[in-house]
Amino acid sequence: MKSLLWLQTGSCGGDTMSVLCADSPSLEELIDHFGIRILWQPSLSTESAASLERTIDAILADQLALDIFCVEGSIICGPNGSGMFDPYRGRAKMDWIRRLAEKAGVLVAIGTCAAFGGVHSAPPNPTDCLGLQFDKTTGGGLLADSWRSRLGLPVVNLAGCPTHPNTMTKTLAMLATGIPLELDHLNRPKLFFNTTVHQGCTRNEYHEYDVEDTSFGGNACMFFNLGCQGPMTMAVCNSELWNGRNSKTRAGVPCFGCTSPDFPLDRDLFLTEKIGPIPVNLPLGVERANYMAYKSLAHDAAPERVLNKKMDT
Amino acid sequence: MSSRVVRIELNRVEGDLDFELTLQDRVVVDARCIGSLYRGFEQIMIGRKPMDALVITPRICGICGTAQLNAAVLALEQLANLQVPATALHIRNLCLMAETVQSDLRQSFLFFTADFCHSKYAGRPWYETAVSAFLPFKGWAHKGALEYSRQMVEIVALFGGQWPHSSYMLPGGVTSPASPRHVLNSLSILNKAIQWFETRIIATELDQWLAIQTNSEFFNWLDGKPGHSDSAIGLFTRIGRDIGLQRLGFGTPHMLSYGAYDHPEQGDKPSALRDRRYRAGFLNGDSGQILPFDQTKVSEHVRFSWFQPYSGGRHPFQGQTIPDYQPHTDRYTWCKAPRYQDNVVQTGPLADALIDGDPLITSFYQSEKGSAWLRQFARLRRTAKLLADMREILGELGKRSGSPHIIPPHSSEFPDGEGYGLVTAARGGLGHWLQVTDGLISRYQVVTPTAWNASPKDSEGRHGHWESSLLGLEIDNPDDPVEVGHIIRSHDPCLVCTVHMLDSDTRISIRP
Repeated sequence: MKSLLWLQTGSCGGDTMSVLCADSPSLEELIDHFGIRILWQPSLSTESAASLERTIDAILADQLALDIFCVEGSIICGPNGSGMFDPYRGRAKMDWIRRLAEKAGVLVAIGTCAAFGGVHSAPPNPTDCLGLQFDKTTGGGLLADSWRSRLGLPVVNLAGCPTHPNTMTKTLAMLATGIPLELDHLNRPKLFFNTTVHQGCTRNEYHEYDVEDTSFGGNACMFFNLGCQGPMTMAVCNSELWNGRNSKTRAGVPCFGCTSPDFPLDRDLFLTEKIGPIPVNLPLGVERANYMAYKSLAHDAAPERVLNKKMDT
Repeated sequence: MSSRVVRIELNRVEGDLDFELTLQDRVVVDARCIGSLYRGFEQIMIGRKPMDALVITPRICGICGTAQLNAAVLALEQLANLQVPATALHIRNLCLMAETVQSDLRQSFLFFTADFCHSKYAGRPWYETAVSAFLPFKGWAHKGALEYSRQMVEIVALFGGQWPHSSYMLPGGVTSPASPRHVLNSLSILNKAIQWFETRIIATELDQWLAIQTNSEFFNWLDGKPGHSDSAIGLFTRIGRDIGLQRLGFGTPHMLSYGAYDHPEQGDKPSALRDRRYRAGFLNGDSGQILPFDQTKVSEHVRFSWFQPYSGGRHPFQGQTIPDYQPHTDRYTWCKAPRYQDNVVQTGPLADALIDGDPLITSFYQSEKGSAWLRQFARLRRTAKLLADMREILGELGKRSGSPHIIPPHSSEFPDGEGYGLVTAARGGLGHWLQVTDGLISRYQVVTPTAWNASPKDSEGRHGHWESSLLGLEIDNPDDPVEVGHIIRSHDPCLVCTVHMLDSDTRISIRP
C-alpha cells in the first residue's frame, strides 16, 4: 500500500473535480486495485479535520510514512512574503508544504498552478504566488532547483488547468506500482507530455492545407487567426480525449496552452500574434522560412472539400 | 454560564473557510464566518482584453466553471449588444444543467449524506441502512453518484470539449453546432442517468415524482411502498427528519434568485430582458412577498473584510477589490458582504424553488420554514427537474441540426462601456459586472453565490446568512459538533478552500 496525502493551496478545486472524472483508471480503482491508501483528500475524506492534523503531525514526526504527496493549487507567498493569504492552523500553507515535502517519497504538483504558478500568477500576481519548484518558466519556486524527494525525484509536474483526469490517475498508478516515470525538461511525465495538442486534432487537415478560420464557430484550423496554441502545447488532449468524449480544439475552442509554464499568456488569448502575415510563434521546431514556403504550397494544393470548409470536424 | 470561542474544521466542502463560534454553555451566541484564502481574480482581470474573461473567470471555480463562463459571456454580450441564436441558448442551457446536476449529485451523496454514517448515529435503527447507502466508496448511493456525476459532464464535453474549464460559450453563441452525433451521445448518457435516478434515488418515474405537490402528498408517497422509503431520497428524508434537520439552520428568511436558463427564442433581446425557465425574484421573508429582482439594488460591504475600507455598501459597478490584510483588527474574512436592498439574503436551490413557485417546496416552507433539511431536499428536487428538462432540450436540439449556433460579432473589438451577466450556478446567484475602457477591462467584480451565503457582518453589523443559521444552535457535544456539519454542508459551501471553526485553546472537529 502506498499512502497518499492531497492538500489544496491556492486552488479552484478544478483538479479535484477533474480527478473525479477519471475513468482509466478511475479514482476508485486507484483505491481498490492499485494499492493507494488516501490519508486525506479535501473533498472526499470522511475523517475529521482533526484527523488531518494528527496525520500531518505524525508524518512530520516520522511516525507515518508519506509515499505520495499531492499539492493542488498555487503556492501563495503574499502578503509581503508572509503566506497569510492562505494559512492553515495559523501558519502559512507554504511552510506546511515545505516541511511535508521533506518527508514525501514523491511530491506531485497537481495542475499548472502547483507546477508553475498558473492562473493566479497572471499579472499583477496579486498573491505573489508561484509553483512548487518553478516560478512560471524558470526555477525559483517554493523549493530549490536542486531539491529532490526522498526517492530522488524532483517535483513531478502534472501540468494542466485542470490536469487531464487520466493523466493524474495513470501517473499515480505508476507511482503506486513502481513503473518508472521519465520526466521532460519541465519535469512533466514524458508519457503524457510527449505529443502536441495539435496531434490528433480533427481540424488537422485544414491546418495542413493552410485553411484557417477567421471567426469562431467554424470547422477549420484556429492556429493562424484565433489564438490556438495546439501546435506548441504538449498534452494528451487529442490522444486521450477529455471525459472520454472530446477535446477543446475538436469542439472549436482554441487551445490556450494550459499545460505550459507561461499559462495564461499575458496578451489577447483569442488572437494569434503575427509579424506581417506570419504567426510569431510557429508550430514546435518549425523554421520561419520553411513555414512560409510550405504553407503557400500547401494552400495551393488544398482540395476543394477542404477549401470550402464543408468537412465536418 | 461558561463562554468560550470554539473552532471546528469541516472537510467535504469546497474551499478554505473558518468559523469562529462563541458558545455559552452549548449554545452558539456569536458566529464569524471566515473565508481564509485570497486569490485576487478581480485584479488579474484589469488591463486584459475583454474576451480573456472567458478563459480566466471559469478558473474561479472548478465546480461551476460553466456558470462562470456563462456569466462572463452574458456580460460581454450585453456590453456589445449582441444577439444569440436559439440553438446556442439551448446548448448553453443544456450544459449549465449538466454541470448543476453533477454538482448536486456530488454535494448530496459525496459531501452531505456521508455525515449520516457518523459514529454518533451508530445506535439508531437506520444506521446500517445508512452505511450501506452512503458510506464513501462503499455505499450504493455514493458509488452511483461518483459514476453518474462523472458521466453527466460528458455532455458538457461533447459540446464544449472538456469539463472542467472550457471556453466554448463565445459572444454570439457557442463554438459547436447541434450535431446529431452529440445530441444522441448526450441522450444516451442522460437516459442512463435518469434510469439510475429513477431506480435508486426516487424509486419512481421522474414525472410521477415531480407531480407531487404538497408535503402531505409527499409523506403519503414515502409510506406508500417500501421501495419509496428505501430509495436514497426516502432514506435522506427519514434520517434527516429523525435527527431533526427540519428544525435546524434557518438563517435569514430573505431569498434571492437571478432566475435560470434564458428562453431560447429570446436571443435577440438583451439577456437582462429575456424570460427565463426559472423565474428571478426577491422573496421578502418578513412579508412573504416575491418581488421583481433588480440588479441595481445589489451592493457589497467590506466593513468586516480584509479589503481597503469604504463606507456603507457599493454596487459592483462602483466596487473595488483591494486587499488590505489586517489580522489584528475586528475585520476577519476575505469575503465581502453582499446585500440586496440592505437585506441579508440567502441564495441557492431553496431560494430558487421558492421564488419560482415550486409547489412541493413551497408547501414544506409554509409549514416548516427553510431548514437544513428543506435546503438539501430542494437540491434533490431540482436534480429531478433538471434531468427532465435536459431530456426536453435534447429533443428540441435533435430537430435543430444545421441551424446556426453562433452569430459572429462584426468586430473582434468591444466598445467601451459596461455589462453584467447574472446566472444561477449550482450554489445560487452568480454575477459578473465588468467595465471596459479604451478596449481593456477596467473593472471586473464577481459576486459568487457563496459570497451571499458566507458573508460576514456588514456596515450595520448584520450577520451573514451562514453566520445567522448557526446562531442559537445547541450543540450536543462541543468537541464533536456534527450538527454544525449538517447545517453548513446543507448550504453547499464553496469557498474553494476547507471549513474550519476556531477554538482559542481546544480544537474540535466533525467526524463522519
